[in-house]
Amino acid sequence: MDSILLVSHVDPDGALPRAALEALAAARTLGAPVTAALFGHSVGKAAAALAGTGVAKVLVVEDPALEAARYSTDAAAAAALAKASGASLVLAPATSRMTRVMAGVAQRLGGRIDTHVTQLVDEGGPTAVRWYYRQRIEAKLRRKERPWVLLVDPGATEALKPAGGAAPPVEKVALALPAPRTQVTGVRSPSSGEQTIRPDAKVLFVAGAGWTKKQQDGKPHPEEAEALILAFLRGSGASLGSSKSLVDQAGEGQKVFEFMTHLNQVGQTGSTPRHAKGLATCCHGEEPHVVGWRFIRERRAVNLDASCGWARGKADVLYVADAFAVMTKVNALLAAKK
Amino acid sequence: MSFHIVVLGSIVPDPLQTLEPVSTPQGPGLKNEQMLPAVLDPWAGHALYEAANLAAKTPGSKVTLVSLGPKAKLQQVMMAVAQKVPFELVALDGPAGGFTDAHEVAARLAAAVKALPGLDRTKLLLFGGWESASRGAGVTLQLVGELLEIPDQFQGVDQISARPDGSFEVLERVEGGRHQVSTCQGAPAVLGWATGNLPEPKNNPQIGMANMRLVMPALQKAAPAPVGTGGVEFASVQVPKVMRETRIVKDASPDEIARELVEWISKD
Amino acid sequence: MERQSMAVDIACVGFGPAMAGFLTTLSRRLAAAEKPPLESAASPGLPLQVVCYERADDPGFGVSGVVTRARGLREAFPDLEAAQIPMAAKVRQEKVLYLLDPVGASRRSAALRAADAAIRAARFALKYEEQAVELPYVPAYLHKLDGFVFSMGQLMQWMSGQVLSTGTVQIWPGTPVASALVEGQAVKGVRLVDQGVDRHGNPEGAFLPGMDVTAALTVVGDGPVGAVGRQLDRELGLPQGSHGRRDWAVGMKFVVDLPEGTPLEPGTVLHTLGFPEPEIFGFLYVHPDRVASVGIFVPSWFESPVRTTYRYLQHYVQHPYLWRFLRDAKLRSWGAKSILESGRRGEPVLAGDGFARIGEGSGSTNVLTSSGVDEAFTTGVQLAEGVIELLEAGKPLTRENLDAAYVARRRASFVEAEGRVAEKARDGFQRGVVTGLLGMALAGATGGRISLGEEPAHPAEKVSSLEQFYAGRIPAGDIAAIRRDCEAKGVPLHDALMDRAGWPAVPLDGKLLVTQQDALLVGGKVQAPPGYADHVTFLRPELCRSCGRKVCFEICSAEAIRPGEGGVPTFDREKCVHCGACLWSCTQRLDGTDEVNLAFRAGTGGLHSAEN
Repeated sequence: MDSILLVSHVDPDGALPRAALEALAAARTLGAPVTAALFGHSVGKAAAALAGTGVAKVLVVEDPALEAARYSTDAAAAAALAKASGASLVLAPATSRMTRVMAGVAQRLGGRIDTHVTQLVDEGGPTAVRWYYRQRIEAKLRRKERPWVLLVDPGATEALKPAGGAAPPVEKVALALPAPRTQVTGVRSPSSGEQTIRPDAKVLFVAGAGWTKKQQDGKPHPEEAEALILAFLRGSGASLGSSKSLVDQAGEGQKVFEFMTHLNQVGQTGSTPRHAKGLATCCHGEEPHVVGWRFIRERRAVNLDASCGWARGKADVLYVADAFAVMTKVNALLAAKK
Repeated sequence: MSFHIVVLGSIVPDPLQTLEPVSTPQGPGLKNEQMLPAVLDPWAGHALYEAANLAAKTPGSKVTLVSLGPKAKLQQVMMAVAQKVPFELVALDGPAGGFTDAHEVAARLAAAVKALPGLDRTKLLLFGGWESASRGAGVTLQLVGELLEIPDQFQGVDQISARPDGSFEVLERVEGGRHQVSTCQGAPAVLGWATGNLPEPKNNPQIGMANMRLVMPALQKAAPAPVGTGGVEFASVQVPKVMRETRIVKDASPDEIARELVEWISKD
Repeated sequence: MERQSMAVDIACVGFGPAMAGFLTTLSRRLAAAEKPPLESAASPGLPLQVVCYERADDPGFGVSGVVTRARGLREAFPDLEAAQIPMAAKVRQEKVLYLLDPVGASRRSAALRAADAAIRAARFALKYEEQAVELPYVPAYLHKLDGFVFSMGQLMQWMSGQVLSTGTVQIWPGTPVASALVEGQAVKGVRLVDQGVDRHGNPEGAFLPGMDVTAALTVVGDGPVGAVGRQLDRELGLPQGSHGRRDWAVGMKFVVDLPEGTPLEPGTVLHTLGFPEPEIFGFLYVHPDRVASVGIFVPSWFESPVRTTYRYLQHYVQHPYLWRFLRDAKLRSWGAKSILESGRRGEPVLAGDGFARIGEGSGSTNVLTSSGVDEAFTTGVQLAEGVIELLEAGKPLTRENLDAAYVARRRASFVEAEGRVAEKARDGFQRGVVTGLLGMALAGATGGRISLGEEPAHPAEKVSSLEQFYAGRIPAGDIAAIRRDCEAKGVPLHDALMDRAGWPAVPLDGKLLVTQQDALLVGGKVQAPPGYADHVTFLRPELCRSCGRKVCFEICSAEAIRPGEGGVPTFDREKCVHCGACLWSCTQRLDGTDEVNLAFRAGTGGLHSAEN
């Protein structure tokens, strides 16, 4: 029987990341006892938040140097915790911080790693479900090697709801961290601010290259398109995604929206965000683009082309209409509601 | 201060191809894998172009692309890539499919990097994609970094700014569409690139001619590098059939559509 | 920004079968350790510098349904086995079929209608099944029984791999050649296309003017619609009395996965005629592993101004004889390509100071045997042999020397002998299908001594008006109404007219019967990189406005050319597959010359399928 460790950093405010509770829920499906491990500047708050989650104990490494997300110190801490636990399965939430280090940790443990796990099941042993080839092929796999490190994708599992009660016992793991050669100096938001893909938004708005193309009067209207998109984002609180062809235009020096960067791109080399709802407008393309919204639960599209590959068979509803006209009306309704 | 930038990157199917898994004696593979046109992995491509850009800005630097893939396919892809930016190639002849084990691939790549003639660790920046369009695990580069005992790693990198003293600032993607800013004392370091900010370089025949004088011999002496699926047992590999019943709304006025959309957006 | 230049010894334009023949032969000589090295004059001290520029994004993105006797190929690759090349199979069975029209919508002459009635009446005495009758024998000149079925894409990929692995020559895909550098009657190299420009060619973003690549020899193998070949015809003139390229067809094909349990064996080859229109010939070739290529040819002598290849192909695959094999087939790939059917008669000046022409654009295709790949490959081999001979002898690559070393080889070969037989074989089609078939049979039987019909006129002259074409089938008033309706909607006329003429709606099934855009995306994987100019433009808008036929957007294989505002068509570079059908279908000749109002230049992008 495998022994399971869930290892996570704590958030900058000391809280337990939500993604850790999701990974814990995935770990619990395997039925084996779960030990937790936390590292950070101060982990007490996060350890207490594990009360009533069924974890047997919490191993911790605390050090001021662990306040910053940095490979050398994080990898040392996570590896020490995993070694101390002796676990054969090491699970971690795929936050940017854990993703940066866990492959290195697996190597230090002499183990193996698999990432982007969307589901764990017990089918003749621990079995992971993950995607290959840009979310186009899904595989279920088991591994012979141990320790086996698994990174669980955020948003793929419902987070475990702690029942409260007594906090699990905490055990400190002593560790001398290496002297860092890297200093984390801060976090920078792109100038676009509100217009990036935010996982917490309910709606993802996907803008396609059609917004910059010629409209019915034979001319492109990028300024109007920009105003409509921004007004919608502000009115709805939606996150902004974009097709590759639209962000590529920026790289080619064409007139394109000021706020659009590669950070907005979904599908292909862009992200595969998870939102409850997605609204695609003026998009055109096929499978590799569409993978960008594989994990959007409810999907609608506005497009002039009834046979659009973005929509047919991929969206729940396709409105065959001029997005400029529709979004003008949508924005008016959203403004009136406020 | 100059760098020796080693870019790890392999080939993936051209993005518009239809992919279908099949099982082979070596484990899962793609239907017609040999026939599918290939391109340089897009993230590795970004890393390569960023490497060339950095090398151009730091005189004395050079770029080496280390690539593990089937020799014939590598040869074909290099004809498209070698026109873009100057680099030297080290080719390893082995499978480039997504179902091979990242640890086995990393071991091959690490050995190839260690064997680079005259490699100076104090100048080594190991570049690659933070993802790939094949395995898509985002771990190979990290594993190679560990195998080479490189203490500093960055993932989801969109920008590097080198300073005259050899230190550099890195922007890494973190949650919420933001960048974490770090300063590293200098090489050696691992940088896994997101997309960066550079457009794809133009095809330059002169760069192509110069590259090929080294690329072709490198391909000809590509050493066999078999890699397998490690201890992974694939229980199932499939293309998910998720076709939705799309309701197509034609001939509705913008007002009607807008009302329906706002109602839908507002629902919890 | 300054235009850069670079010197090489041999610059090659276009990597098709002809260039594969040239580079295979040349690279073997360059790699031959036992022979004295051929040194570069452009870069003294280095071996001969040979570069080939191909406009498509990969050497394997060419298109052709290929069944070939592979005589030249096997000479170059004596150990050639089908198993070496994906999708290759030995030809095992060959049939010619006359397809009756089960729909009743095709335009058939009285003679043909009588023949159809006779076939139906005598069907029990004929090899008749599923609305098709098998011709009792395949004429000797047509048969390919000792040959291969290939995927052109896979064949080219394999041959480019062979060539590159020698390390002696370079093939650069994704790099179109804009023009040859012509000085007087000599060619001094090539100019590549500009990069970092908007669709009109104006610099924007990272502008990089197309580089000049100078070379002692420019080898032109850019195919029937290649920009460089046509430029040389224009600037250097054609052989005396020649009208050049006047007889054309566009071939369009699906590559399909056949259903499990298909009775079709690999190496099966079907040639068809009679349906969907008598003028449209078709084919089905079976590759290994339950894969088949199926397609049609729409010729320039088909008078219809609404000759939509795609819609016709959809009806073709549904013919009962084929549909029983294809009903559950699934689309894998799709593509289209123009075929120069002028053959030997369209031959340009084959060699001059600093240049030589090979392949289909040099008139090598045999229009009687319907064979082009093997002939093209052979001309490439012949040129390489000639060039090696000249280089070894230290002779300059002048017109005189190339005539002696290359053209003479070609004249003495089967390409020339059989091309001469075929020269007038298809002239009968200028008068109709029945005359055309009789003419082919006569030419085939008499070694080309007897033929029917006359040399084709300019293709623009073959296109009739809609009213003429649909006379007796659609009243002129209905045509006018359809024209008004389609113009208002901004769509081509062909679907509405074919519907009206009795063609049934195509029951899209998402497998083989898909929309044209899905064929582009799912089958052809068509794409184009940004930063290049439109390669299709309309020179004089007033000529488009006054054009009553607008065949350009009716025949466009990819719906890249569409009706535009004010009567001037629009062009969407991202959809174009570079088939070139628009070029020979434009009916607006400029000032009585063979040039037309539609300009077709070298461009990037197109198909991204390597299975065609």
